[in-house]
Amino acid sequence: MPIYLYIDRGTFVHRLHPTVKVFALFVMFWSVYWVDNPIALAPVGLVMLWIAQLTDSWPNFYRLRWLFAILVFSTTIAWMVFYRRGAVLVNVPIFHISRLSLIFGVGRGIKLAELLAASVLFLSTTKIEEFTYGLQRMRVPYRVGFAISLSFRLVPLFIDSAVTIVDAQRLRGYDFNQGGPIERVRRYVPVVIPVFMGALRKANNMAMALEARGFGFSHEPTTFIDYPVTGADIMAFGFLIALGTLSFMLYWTGLGGIGPLK
Amino acid sequence: MKIDAQIVQATPGPHAVWVQGVTFTYHGAERPALRAVSFVQSAGETIGVMGASGAGKSTLAKCLNRIVPEFEDGDFRGTIRIAGEALEHLRVCEVAPKVGMVFQDFESQLFSTNVAHEVAFAMEQVGMDRAEMDRRIIPALEAVGLRGFEHRDPMSLSGGEKQRLAIASVLALRPSVIVLDEPTTDLDPEGRAEIFELIAKLRAQGLSLIVIEHESEELRAANRIIVLREGEIATDGPPAEVFARTELLMECGVRPPGLGHALKLLGIDAQAESVEQAYDAIVRAYPRVGATLVDNVADSRAPGHPATSGNAATTGPPFMAIENVSFSYADGPRVLDSIDLRVEAGDFIAIVGQNGSGKTTLAKQIVGLLQPATGRVIIEGKNRAQMRPAETAREVAYVFQNPDHQIFAATVQEEVAFGPRNFGLADGEIERRCNEALEAVGLQNERQSDPFLLSKGERQRLAVASVLVLRPRMLILDEPTTGLDHREQLRMMALVRDLNRAGIAIVIITHTPWLVAEYARRVVLLRKGAKIFDGGVREFFMQDELLRSSSFRAPEITELSRRFGTLALSTGEFVAWVKGRA
Repeated sequence: MPIYLYIDRGTFVHRLHPTVKVFALFVMFWSVYWVDNPIALAPVGLVMLWIAQLTDSWPNFYRLRWLFAILVFSTTIAWMVFYRRGAVLVNVPIFHISRLSLIFGVGRGIKLAELLAASVLFLSTTKIEEFTYGLQRMRVPYRVGFAISLSFRLVPLFIDSAVTIVDAQRLRGYDFNQGGPIERVRRYVPVVIPVFMGALRKANNMAMALEARGFGFSHEPTTFIDYPVTGADIMAFGFLIALGTLSFMLYWTGLGGIGPLK
Repeated sequence: MKIDAQIVQATPGPHAVWVQGVTFTYHGAERPALRAVSFVQSAGETIGVMGASGAGKSTLAKCLNRIVPEFEDGDFRGTIRIAGEALEHLRVCEVAPKVGMVFQDFESQLFSTNVAHEVAFAMEQVGMDRAEMDRRIIPALEAVGLRGFEHRDPMSLSGGEKQRLAIASVLALRPSVIVLDEPTTDLDPEGRAEIFELIAKLRAQGLSLIVIEHESEELRAANRIIVLREGEIATDGPPAEVFARTELLMECGVRPPGLGHALKLLGIDAQAESVEQAYDAIVRAYPRVGATLVDNVADSRAPGHPATSGNAATTGPPFMAIENVSFSYADGPRVLDSIDLRVEAGDFIAIVGQNGSGKTTLAKQIVGLLQPATGRVIIEGKNRAQMRPAETAREVAYVFQNPDHQIFAATVQEEVAFGPRNFGLADGEIERRCNEALEAVGLQNERQSDPFLLSKGERQRLAVASVLVLRPRMLILDEPTTGLDHREQLRMMALVRDLNRAGIAIVIITHTPWLVAEYARRVVLLRKGAKIFDGGVREFFMQDELLRSSSFRAPEITELSRRFGTLALSTGEFVAWVKGRA
């Protein structure tokens, strides 16, 4: 099973300058941040669907389909407990099921799904080296940028290790599904400790290997790959500015909130 | 593997490496990890470093590029010069252009998403310009046989290819010396062969190499062997001289080469670097043995290896049966293809095959971590699909390759008690079983020890104890000796053999030919998910074509015995056979 999300395709999105890609990620987050209304979230969502189609990123979305579904569903349910506005449509204990809480809950769910989708698109089209380079160009210190981008590589390794550890403990008769919610969390201690110890060991090995390969020799390492700025980068930059401005305007005018739907 | 490119190494001056009186004590340690170690490596020399776990091999390697003491806290004394330049006051990253280091864990030393970029990584770090990087990348990849892989994702490479890529990335910096710290430990036989072939070619090009390795056969071509014992140099000399000192090697936890050991036991004062040389030496010393060639393998059965047929007991219901099992991971190719396998009570089976051949997947099918797409697994007459993994655990236990994937408790006793507690056993019963399991693995005196402070071999035995405590009738061990030194390997395998003698069916997944030869009674060979051999060990080692196509080599002593028309599975067995015929 592939453990990284990058899908090597020669699309124009893949070829965009790393700085533009990092900026695009920022703009996507920015655009989603200002808007709550599910309908107002649609433009950003449509842009993401278009990019996913263009970049052939669907396999990654398919891999994470359950995460998307759980994210939207659980967020909607959770907000029906905490968002207690609007006339109740159906009486269910604990929940406040109203048109307003449904819209708000679904909006929050879509918002989180779009944040996740933006990250998936970014990682599907951006190499680790490009990520580091993009951060470096945005004046993030090289060591910090490298650490951030490397952490993206490590997460799948840790997940892989956690799955093995869960298997190992299940084979010793351990049942992770016993007890209430707090007990269930507590029951993951036999997984967390080996994962944590393994992560420390891995991080230590990586740090040694990095230094042994000259990491830290220069504050501004040279780059092997040339990233020229092209017309496509300028167009993409302009489009992202427009998208970010549109989202902010939706917020500014109140159209992005759930007010108009009351 | 073809090497077209010449890799230019930095001119190291008279000595590539000069080590004088190096002593290092890790912070908080009672005794030094290295004690007054001194040696000199001439330019172009290859030095093999051997020794038991904890002898100081890796510490020595880390001293050469300043990871010790820069990275590992402790008290460092002595002097190290690389190509005439003292390393004092240099940071690890400043030593990188002088000393290239290849680590055992290949996953932890690859940082890029593209092979060419991986090679460029170190050059970028030292600030090399793009034109120079371009000039160096292709020769480095050619040198390791990875030309044409420039655009591949390193994570998509096999283990051997990943390790070759790591070597290419240090070659590109053209260091004065390259240190390889157990570079083949995690590789399958094919990957190991690739790396040793590459090391031989780098050596032929005159590069200065220091290779840390457990298998003495692989270091015969080195110029010198240094054996470390408890941080000190026990011996330092040409391979022929060092490998002749079999008692010393064994004292130091090093497995002597099988051929040399056999000659010594036969009283022949000669060293052999190949099966042919050993054969000639024996024929000269024992003319009658050479003259009475037999071709009767069955005749060579020795006590302790009674079963030569893999299907010795096929009547009656087996303890465990796999019936026509096929399996694929989601959206992936078929990993297991119509596998049939019977395991009888008391069997000792070795499952072999290259990485990705389906060995671990098969084991996971048996214990219930995976469900077959077609077919079924029967344990004690019950369909395993109707048993939960926890239920299966009482019948079949699985010891993962990495013991650290299960250790979490504060003490050894608690770790072992974890399983029985999950099954709700009474405290008295848990205590009894823990004592029994800890005694079986020789950890009875470590009850209150912190498991994380045990050695790798002890942690591996703890992992066995923690499943043994459930009193399973079958034990599957996934590469139980990986990363262990020879002494620990022998101890681990003695434990496994004792368990088998006590009636537990054993299935080991392994890449190590001598383990298969000396301990298993039956071999199952997998290739691309299909079972292509299932039979006795002797029968297996007679299948030349099968072995070759599976990159699995018989132990040298077995190959030597076959030159005499017999088939011995261990040095002792071969020596007894020769003496019996002489």
